[in-house]
Amino acid sequence: MQQSKKAPLRFVFTWHDFGVFISLLVVATILCYFLRKIDDSDVYVALIFELTVVLVSRFTDGYLFGLLSSVVGVIGINYIFTFPYYQLNFTISGYPLTFLVMLIVSVVVSTLTTQIKQQEKIRAEAEKEKMRGNLLRAVSHDIRTPLTSIVGGVSTLLDSGDQLNEATRTQLLENIRDESNWLVSVVENLLSVTRMTGEQTKIKKEMEAGEEVLSAAAMKIKKHYPDIDVSVHAPQELLMIPMDVILIEQVLINLMENAIQHGGTTTRVELQLRKDGERARFEVADDGQGIAREVFPKLFKGYLSHDEELTADGRRNMGIGLSVCMSIVQAHGGTMQAENRETGGALFSFTLPLEEHRDENPRENSGN
Amino acid sequence: MKIREKILVIEDEQTIRNFMQAVLTANDYDVLLARTGAMGESMIASHCPDVIILDLGLPDVDGMEILRKVRRWSKVPIVVVSARTHERDKVEALDAGADDYLTKPFGTGELLARIRAAIRHTRTPIGSEAVANTGIFKAGDLTIDYAKHRVFIAGQDANLTQNEYKLVALLGLHAGKVLTYDYLIKELWGPSARSDNQILRVNMANIRRKIEQNPAQPVYIFTEVGIGYRMIEGD
Repeated sequence: MQQSKKAPLRFVFTWHDFGVFISLLVVATILCYFLRKIDDSDVYVALIFELTVVLVSRFTDGYLFGLLSSVVGVIGINYIFTFPYYQLNFTISGYPLTFLVMLIVSVVVSTLTTQIKQQEKIRAEAEKEKMRGNLLRAVSHDIRTPLTSIVGGVSTLLDSGDQLNEATRTQLLENIRDESNWLVSVVENLLSVTRMTGEQTKIKKEMEAGEEVLSAAAMKIKKHYPDIDVSVHAPQELLMIPMDVILIEQVLINLMENAIQHGGTTTRVELQLRKDGERARFEVADDGQGIAREVFPKLFKGYLSHDEELTADGRRNMGIGLSVCMSIVQAHGGTMQAENRETGGALFSFTLPLEEHRDENPRENSGN
Repeated sequence: MKIREKILVIEDEQTIRNFMQAVLTANDYDVLLARTGAMGESMIASHCPDVIILDLGLPDVDGMEILRKVRRWSKVPIVVVSARTHERDKVEALDAGADDYLTKPFGTGELLARIRAAIRHTRTPIGSEAVANTGIFKAGDLTIDYAKHRVFIAGQDANLTQNEYKLVALLGLHAGKVLTYDYLIKELWGPSARSDNQILRVNMANIRRKIEQNPAQPVYIFTEVGIGYRMIEGD
């Protein structure tokens, strides 16, 4: 269905492809040149150029350079590497056949690679679509549940508030406040998602001080959960990290909220930043119950489905927060893990590259 | 009779007006309400409120427009309220002369704290009365001596460089208020300085290593992510 939009331009010229084309041909030529010093039979020449055609077709888009390399290859072979050297001789036996074979190979390889690339795109598209669907489902659940208790609580207070005792009234009001705060965090996450998808998933990164994000996120959590002991550790060396600071703050807040709300018995949360080779490593550790083994495989997979008993205790599903975290970290070219600590409690960590990548292709985000 | 501070709330949402009126009245403020930007503007001129709480997303006029107009002739503290979470809007409002900002949704505690801070700031042209009178800013163990151009932590000279001192001094003068990155860069390195945050970050990191016990958990200078820095209110 997207076909019309990005119909593959089969004969597109790009400098990148041109570079690939030239360098591969040069390598092949040099190789042949040296091989001839060792062995002056020329059977391998055609094979080497055949391989070059395959490689060029594979590493460039469309047909243009694949075809071009087979033409250049055939002429080159003829001119330089086959007897008589340094002159064109189209009468060599089998020559038209060689030419034809190289042409066919390049067309076939180009077609195949184009197809593979296209399929990749379609799959990524479908993946995105699925994520969006999951998110919507998670969100509507996340919104409906607290709304139900807010509407119910308020109606109760309005209709029969005077029949309730003080304690019950306070409790209802506290519930309403907590549920509303929950809604706020859902909305924050949604905003993060729109921030990422708004500008074609390409996030705007700037060099930011790692310790500042850490402390700002910790402050916000302390304001919301005054009873939780939050500690922050950052290295003596200032780590400047390319990131969208608002999104990374959101990741840290989500992870801390997650630790507090799902840790069960969490009393303290530890935030840590360290340098890990070429990457900055953020850790959020808690002293709660840890992560149940059956939850692990689905932790970052979209969201936890609601018909599972995991949410039977009425606990919020943690899916939306964590999957938003995952998307944000991946969009930064980072990775994310979760594990249980030996001392009890859970440990979530993610890494961000310290160097801005030259090419903007977020290919290598293999995730976990 | 006690003279009560007059607060003008310019906000189009009925429910938010209701709740603000309830909270502010309960906390002993005189509350004026304006439903539209036009109403708000005329009330600013006629009632001379002590603080204005201004919603940026009004139906008739852009709140930023009102902010700029008022700033042409008045220094009345303005606390901007916005549902726009994009930090750019907050920065823009602060740079246009807003004294502080609140992001919807906000708690009543936060609202009251910002109003108190805003009122304090107008009493004296510079942040705190104490600074104006004594030339010294104190918050916990932190002392900024404006006469000597020195910063002390628990009586010990923090050995700040000149730029570091300037930065701390500026934040101290406006304690409790967010100063945007842009503003700070322009104040320190001149109006033609590039809006490159890195050098500011590095300076701040150095300052924190000199004045904070744990630079990653500062108690004096806080980061408002994406916006700027804020010094804790003086004692």
